[in-house]
Amino acid sequence: MNEVERLRAAMRATEPDLWESLDLDAVMRQGRSLRRRRRAAAGGAVVLSAALVVVGVTVGVRFARPPGQLPPPAPAVSAPTTSAPVTSTPIPGTESRKPIGEVVSSGIRYGTEERVFYFVPVDLPAVPDVTIGLVAGRRLADGTLIADYLVNDVAGSDRRPGFHEIGYESSPAAPTYAPVPTFGYFVGPADGIIGTVDGRRVTARLARWSMDTDVVIFWFDPQTVKPGRRLDGISARDTQGRPL
Amino acid sequence: MARGDTEFAEFARVASGRLVHAAFLMTGDHHQAEDAAQTALVRTYAAWSRVRDDDAYGYARTVLVNHLVDGWRRPIREYPSDDIPEQRRGDVADEVTTRRWLLGVLGALSPRERAIVVLRYYFDLPEAQVARELDVSLGTVKSTSSRALEKLRTAGGQPQTVEGRRR
Repeated sequence: MNEVERLRAAMRATEPDLWESLDLDAVMRQGRSLRRRRRAAAGGAVVLSAALVVVGVTVGVRFARPPGQLPPPAPAVSAPTTSAPVTSTPIPGTESRKPIGEVVSSGIRYGTEERVFYFVPVDLPAVPDVTIGLVAGRRLADGTLIADYLVNDVAGSDRRPGFHEIGYESSPAAPTYAPVPTFGYFVGPADGIIGTVDGRRVTARLARWSMDTDVVIFWFDPQTVKPGRRLDGISARDTQGRPL
Repeated sequence: MARGDTEFAEFARVASGRLVHAAFLMTGDHHQAEDAAQTALVRTYAAWSRVRDDDAYGYARTVLVNHLVDGWRRPIREYPSDDIPEQRRGDVADEVTTRRWLLGVLGALSPRERAIVVLRYYFDLPEAQVARELDVSLGTVKSTSSRALEKLRTAGGQPQTVEGRRR
């Protein structure tokens, strides 16, 4: 038996017949809820249920872990600082929730539409310290806001120092008309945010949130990081280039 | 229960063992593995009408892998090689020995190497498909796989008791 055969045999020998603790009712209940959210997102509305802990309207579901199991990501990556993009004034539109603070213009355009980022209120009774979520939306030519993707924390506090949930385009294999760039927010004095992809260091664009300058919204240019491509690592640096 | 729900329930019962085991092989963490498997099943159920007649298992596997790859950005935890779950089948000593060996050799690999090894040798996916699922180049799969196997060669040894699957 060579090492591949030994490895294959060992992986299969330790495989359980069934996952005995599978909670099928919970899976189907959460799946139905996620399906409703996807439909709501497709209609341009942002809807959050109080009963389910959800990350992203169109992508993932995270479940609360015990304390200490959701550490802030901090692979060791050194990097230069980044430039800050502009922000703009909120414009009311079909977004069902009023954005909190200024809507951030990314400069990424899809014809007459522009990719924007903004916070909206969220209500998760089981997680009272999470009250905001970050939306990757589009601003139409008439100023209407369309919510494409929402990320919010599912445990702890939305102002915990460090990185929070990161949003990814959910259909990388079938690009949509306006693919969502990889985006998220960091709490702390970040002056630069660097991601790593296939050994490459990529610099995020940053904007401070108008309601709390400790909150740094970031996103990666789709020309630099393919939408949907998972980051291998991400780190933040202060104005002196020191890791945070 | 609607027909689609019945089909999904059967799918989940059959697929869940492999999904949670694959996630465990990739992470070495039972809690994280069950979390990932549950996420994969939730999202598969959410898309069931679209994937039920296509490749539901492949869809669930892709969701699982993406979920875990997403977790690579977090600090790598030490491999809990002493974390031996309760075994249900016979030959407990053999399984414990095998599991310790397996966790030892996988623990020597990086998260990307583990993912490639699991997709390639547990799910038996062709290299090109591994590349697509991890969104890396075919060359990366080949070179990483080769490096991973070299690590196994030099550091892994072999379990003393396992020569194949006991079913």
